[in-house]
Amino acid sequence: MFSNIDLEKLLSLFKYIPDDPLLFSTAEFLFFFFAFLVFYAAFSKSRNFRVYLIIVFSLFFYYKAAGLYFLLLVFSSVFNFYAGKSIQSSGESYLKKKMLLIASVAVNIGVLFYFKYTNFFIDIVNHIKSSAITPLDIFLPVGISFFTFKALSYVIDVYLEKMEAEKSFRDFLLYVSFFPNILAGPIDRAPEFLPQVKQDLQIPEIYIGRGIFLIISGLFKKVVIADYIGVNFVDRIFEMPTRYTGVENLLAVYGYALKVYCDFSGYSDIAIGIALLMGFKLMENFNSPYQASSIAEFWRRWHISLSSWFLDYLFRPLQMKFRSLRTLGNASALIVTFLICGLWHGASYTFVLWGAVHGLMMAIALFTKKPRQKFYEKLGISNSKVLHAFQVFITFHLIAVTWVLFGAANFSAAMDMFSQIFSYFKGGVFPQFVQAYPVVLALIITGYILHFVPKSVELKVSELITRTPLPAKAFILAVAIWVVAQAKSADLQPFIYFQF
Amino acid sequence: MISERLKKTILAVLNLEDYNITRDTKATEVPGWDSLNHINVILAVEKEYQVRFKNIEILKLKNIGDLQNLVDSKVS
Repeated sequence: MFSNIDLEKLLSLFKYIPDDPLLFSTAEFLFFFFAFLVFYAAFSKSRNFRVYLIIVFSLFFYYKAAGLYFLLLVFSSVFNFYAGKSIQSSGESYLKKKMLLIASVAVNIGVLFYFKYTNFFIDIVNHIKSSAITPLDIFLPVGISFFTFKALSYVIDVYLEKMEAEKSFRDFLLYVSFFPNILAGPIDRAPEFLPQVKQDLQIPEIYIGRGIFLIISGLFKKVVIADYIGVNFVDRIFEMPTRYTGVENLLAVYGYALKVYCDFSGYSDIAIGIALLMGFKLMENFNSPYQASSIAEFWRRWHISLSSWFLDYLFRPLQMKFRSLRTLGNASALIVTFLICGLWHGASYTFVLWGAVHGLMMAIALFTKKPRQKFYEKLGISNSKVLHAFQVFITFHLIAVTWVLFGAANFSAAMDMFSQIFSYFKGGVFPQFVQAYPVVLALIITGYILHFVPKSVELKVSELITRTPLPAKAFILAVAIWVVAQAKSADLQPFIYFQF
Repeated sequence: MISERLKKTILAVLNLEDYNITRDTKATEVPGWDSLNHINVILAVEKEYQVRFKNIEILKLKNIGDLQNLVDSKVS
């Protein structure tokens, strides 16, 4: 017999509860995902059933995160499906095609703008005009930046004739709403994703091995490293930097660089891993970004699905427009692209500034490329390991410094951190810090060491998991989940990227 | 086939002695032809053939075969 309370509890699992999405690292998600997999496997022979099952589960997953706003997802799918169709069928009429593209981009960006940036712009207007327009009460549907960009890439790809418009609305809806990447990416591209929907289900051994490896490493990065050092150290310093010495602020800067990487790439790893278990290969999203030897290389390794989006759909068109200016054209395109990339990350000045600084750093690198090369040749160190190590070191520190803008509550808090580091360092506090936070320190060091492990080692480990028999795989995953559950902090930390 | 003239133009911009360029070769596969250098390659091709491409024509290119076709369509 179920008592009323139990039934209510059970029902509430299916209901939308504000600020309580089905995070991949929760027991609720595991429960639902396991049930989903049972049906998925049982009906693996029928493509129709499989596709509908993923769609229903995806819409439910998004409903749990955003309530009735899951209809926005449906609207985006319907709108962009027909946008793609009409762009394709406008045939040779170049002007009509272009107008249709502009209209579709305007609607997509308009919706995104309304939900995410209205209040930011009210704020700006209030500042400029000294007016007092009250901010609107607007709900921000999670993942809107991600699925809007995913849908936009499809429309632009059809426009640029990189692909044919999709004929099946059902398959397109699956592309837009696919639950593993709906909340925080990877922002997959239609030409690679849609053919996978149309295939018969086949899950090679290597997908399962790699999938399990990614889920385990993702949980470790997110729950063990990012959450732990966040709750217990980094977040406290970022909240009130002036309460701590410079040495603690400096360690928090290093800690935050690791935390933001582990938090976000951990989430991506789990998303990619879950998709692999379902037979879908998503885009690679992170490739040891702190191993980069330049800011430009960092952006080829960090949030790859977003940076390549900006490269293809914003930077390249701008670059071609400005091409008669040569290097100056490249630099202008870079700065505009990264200003918008900053704004994409959040509706605040600090994000815009963060993007601007990245664009500026790359522009400076462009203009100084030749003299730098000549200088290295004079010293006889071009292409040497020493130079490479030096460049990685400098690049990492430039990025770590810009992360302060990204992570701080506002500009003055960011400046406080720097002023603490430069004018109130108190190096003598370090031994006390080691005593007070041994686990935090150990995790930061472990995190960075793991980050610099060569990719070949990582591939060997995932190969090893691939080669173990299925029951052993299940056992490894179960043990990993148990370990992660033990390590889970009392407070559930939301993924940093959800606010975007 | 990629014409000798187009190939020479591309290799000169990228400071390459020789590189096997076919119709299916993608820009990213050629050493030094990255997203930033792209601007220089396109400008060099435009200069060599005394043509001006539309932005959209460049954005639609998928490989060097497409670039050859575009050049041919402008020159003839």
